[in-house]
Amino acid sequence: MATTAESMEREQKLEGIGCSRKRKEDPRFIQGKGNYVDDVNLAGTLFASVVRSPHAHARIKSINKAKALALPGVHAVLTADDLKPLKLHWMPTLAGDVQAVLADEKVCFQYQEVAVVIADNRYIAADGVDLVEVEYEPLPALVDPHKAMDADAPIIREDLVGKDEAGQGKRLHNNHIFRWEVGDKAGTDKVFAGAEVTVKQAMLNPRVHPCPLETCGCVASFDKVRGDLTVYITSQAPHVVRTVVSILSGLPESKIRVISPDIGGGFGNKVGVYPGYVTAIVASIVLGRPVKWIESRIENLSTTAFARDYHMVGELAADKNGRIKALRVNVLADHGAFNSHAQPTKWPAGLFSVCTGSYDIPVAYVKVDGVYTNKAPGGVAYRCSFRVTEAVHLIERMIDILAQKLDIDKAEIRFRNFIKPEQFPYHTALDWEYDSGNYPAALKKVMEAVDYAGLRKEQEEKRKKGELMGIGICTFTEIVGAGPSKACDILGVGMFDSCEIRVHPTGSAIARMGTQSTGQAHETTYAQIIATELGLPSEVIQVEEGDTSTAPYGLGTYGSRSTPVGGAATANAARKIRDKARKIAAHLLEVSPDDLDWEIDRFKVKGVPGQEKTMKEIAWAAYNNVPAGMEMGLEAVEYYDPPNFTYPFGAYICVLDIDRHTGESKVRRFYALDDCGTRINPMIIEGQIHGGLTEAYAVAMGQLIAFDANGNLLSNSLMDYFVPTAVETPKWETDFTVTPSPHHPLGAKGVAESPHVGGIPCFTNAVNDAFSHLGVTQIEMPHTSFNVWKTIHELGLDKQV
Amino acid sequence: MEVKLEKKFSIAAPAANAWRLLQDIKAVAECMPGAQITEQLDDTHYKGQVKMRLGPASATFNGELEVKSLDPNEKKMEMFGKGTDTSGASAATMNLTARVLDSGNGQCELVGVSDVSVSGKMANFGGRMMNQVSEQILKQFGDNFTSRVMAMGEGAAAEQAAAAVAQQPKELNALALIWHALLGFFKSLFGGGKA
Repeated sequence: MATTAESMEREQKLEGIGCSRKRKEDPRFIQGKGNYVDDVNLAGTLFASVVRSPHAHARIKSINKAKALALPGVHAVLTADDLKPLKLHWMPTLAGDVQAVLADEKVCFQYQEVAVVIADNRYIAADGVDLVEVEYEPLPALVDPHKAMDADAPIIREDLVGKDEAGQGKRLHNNHIFRWEVGDKAGTDKVFAGAEVTVKQAMLNPRVHPCPLETCGCVASFDKVRGDLTVYITSQAPHVVRTVVSILSGLPESKIRVISPDIGGGFGNKVGVYPGYVTAIVASIVLGRPVKWIESRIENLSTTAFARDYHMVGELAADKNGRIKALRVNVLADHGAFNSHAQPTKWPAGLFSVCTGSYDIPVAYVKVDGVYTNKAPGGVAYRCSFRVTEAVHLIERMIDILAQKLDIDKAEIRFRNFIKPEQFPYHTALDWEYDSGNYPAALKKVMEAVDYAGLRKEQEEKRKKGELMGIGICTFTEIVGAGPSKACDILGVGMFDSCEIRVHPTGSAIARMGTQSTGQAHETTYAQIIATELGLPSEVIQVEEGDTSTAPYGLGTYGSRSTPVGGAATANAARKIRDKARKIAAHLLEVSPDDLDWEIDRFKVKGVPGQEKTMKEIAWAAYNNVPAGMEMGLEAVEYYDPPNFTYPFGAYICVLDIDRHTGESKVRRFYALDDCGTRINPMIIEGQIHGGLTEAYAVAMGQLIAFDANGNLLSNSLMDYFVPTAVETPKWETDFTVTPSPHHPLGAKGVAESPHVGGIPCFTNAVNDAFSHLGVTQIEMPHTSFNVWKTIHELGLDKQV
Repeated sequence: MEVKLEKKFSIAAPAANAWRLLQDIKAVAECMPGAQITEQLDDTHYKGQVKMRLGPASATFNGELEVKSLDPNEKKMEMFGKGTDTSGASAATMNLTARVLDSGNGQCELVGVSDVSVSGKMANFGGRMMNQVSEQILKQFGDNFTSRVMAMGEGAAAEQAAAAVAQQPKELNALALIWHALLGFFKSLFGGGKA
């Protein structure tokens, strides 16, 4: 028998699950050696630049290309009329609607794509854009979604007039997209009618944008001789892009190769298929040359998918002890000019119905109405599973408001309502089955770590002196890992994911997945899963993603689905290989497979010390000495259809102080405890949590895509749109508990989005808490110093000495 | 992005002269820095152009002007203008009402009320400066108008005014406008006075 020390050393050498192994990607990233889409330079590449609408709503009277075409170096100018014969001037969206690729007769949002100039280089293309003359007849713009269904509201989508359906059920007005209802309306109304206490609050998750460091772009290259198309693209879901491109272009899917190279952040912004991609592809097919399109920052913030814009009214019914009896939610969702909301196809409001949160709520009802406005289309999950941020925001604000009304401590009211550990698996009133959790333990741990009682005492004393101090709590439950194919699909393709592993004769391996890293270090963590499952060092396991011609089909990375779905596929594929390896080992050792024990990196004959075969030895044998009847080689592929979502959770506390004169908030402490089940690489988890919290801070404290009354964008450059740097970002303290998922092969859940989903309500709860003793129930985000100062000023606090 | 402005200019010249100039749409347009009428379509409709320079970049706004009313009794002129830059990246509309008030003693006052709405890049990036910049444009318009009215007279003052008219820049210099607007803003911060 191997000594414990010896086997421990062998295990450590593998750098498998649980190891804080350094990110394999970073040497190339920190040396500027990454390979992003804009780094792809094919010989003879032309550059596309987009002519965009200055108006939020206008009829196009004429487009004059003559001057642009006369500019030396300009090859083509494409408009909707040019795409019409190809039937590509409109394209289907992920949400069952259609979207104009290039504006067809009218524009419906500012910066909408009107024409595309293709030129020798990006400078000539930009000059060409200035020379395209477009004559508009401005129309009244609809900016406020609350006015979208007014009788006299301007009609945004003339193409849908007379159609009582836009892909997601019955429409009630020309600007109405869908109504989605879940839960027990009658039952909920009944509880409210007889409730001891009710609270009701309108709140807004304002329109924001993920603003990834790298903007969107592609290089499309159609080979006229071979008849095949290669597209390098900033996509979080390259396989889905291939399918969509095949459907749109009529090219066989086998003639299309989509490659997502290194991607500089996605956060949902790179899920959609954008007009820029489509026009670059068309231009390449028409001209027979590679065409590159790369967005500017302004274009990215103005047109590619935004997030949120949920105007919500939450209501809770409870007893006098703060025990919640029912939840009722009405949402008005502003989807912009086209419904290109990225979501599993059957879910018009994503997974919003997870809004009962971490609490045992007997009955609930949710209604969501989606409307069109003259704003950019989209509606993506900005670092969250589809609409979960909005859901968690709603319930976490509402429980605070209930606590305030009943004068119950905001931590105490959570303990009274938590789903208890023994209630798992827990079936929610809105039909989700939470897999595992231990909410009270998590909150207790955080409260002890920050001395919650002491903080409340300090706050009381500060309030006596007129100082503003806020303590925010958030105890969220996330729903990630979309998803079971019985519930989730994208354009009819089930939301499984995949992994293919090939072990080479010398004991190294290559693995390919259907997911796509946008910075999460998949090359590092997937290798760790395989290292533990196969007993091969993670150092010699090469992970590749993003090339549809080599990787197995997968639905991509968003909604924290890589570990819950792709990670499970990886573990299962490795286990298939290990099963075969066991048979080969048994053959080599001349015993029955049942006589073997697996230990770290080898099979050992039970009770016979020294009789063993390492995985490295087995790999060699797989290519020259296998049992009779067995095929050679050592590889496997797994398409994993998850039986359920995973439900990571966490408990966060934020402490902040607000300057009574300037409105400036200083985050004194932010303590984040996350439970994502089994932890594969703790260092990467920590990094993801830092990133998610920073983006939560950005959204809560500063980000806003703002419009004026005419639909002009007021925040589409980094002059106006807040992206926190190390200067603004608070210090994060992280912690964890481990409650494995019972249905995931590794017990792992997703994590990267939890800190964003849980962080935003935690910050806003802290700001609101600072004012709660003054009768304030809801201060809307973003909590910029100016906005906070306005509240202070209205309350007259800045005048007090 | 909309801005409403009202401004008064005192002119040391008779009201009749000011009213005469106000009816000459071509001359009035040229009082706008960088603007000119390129074509008269009918009695009340004109085509025009505004050339604008922002540092090294220049833009040309093409637009249409409609004289909505000319009231000799009130000495009042109403016009509506709209324009887009040639690339279509920005667009603007303006309603302008100008009136000449006789102050007696051969003096008069020009009262201008304008209502400007912009969209596109100008609204995205210039939005926060709109008020100040519009104010500067209107001020330059008033100065030029005053000079032209004065130049109709005789004597040293008129000659000086005629010289000023001749020197009027042919382009709207946006950077200079922003600079003046900024100066005005800071003055208002520290001096409490009007920009």
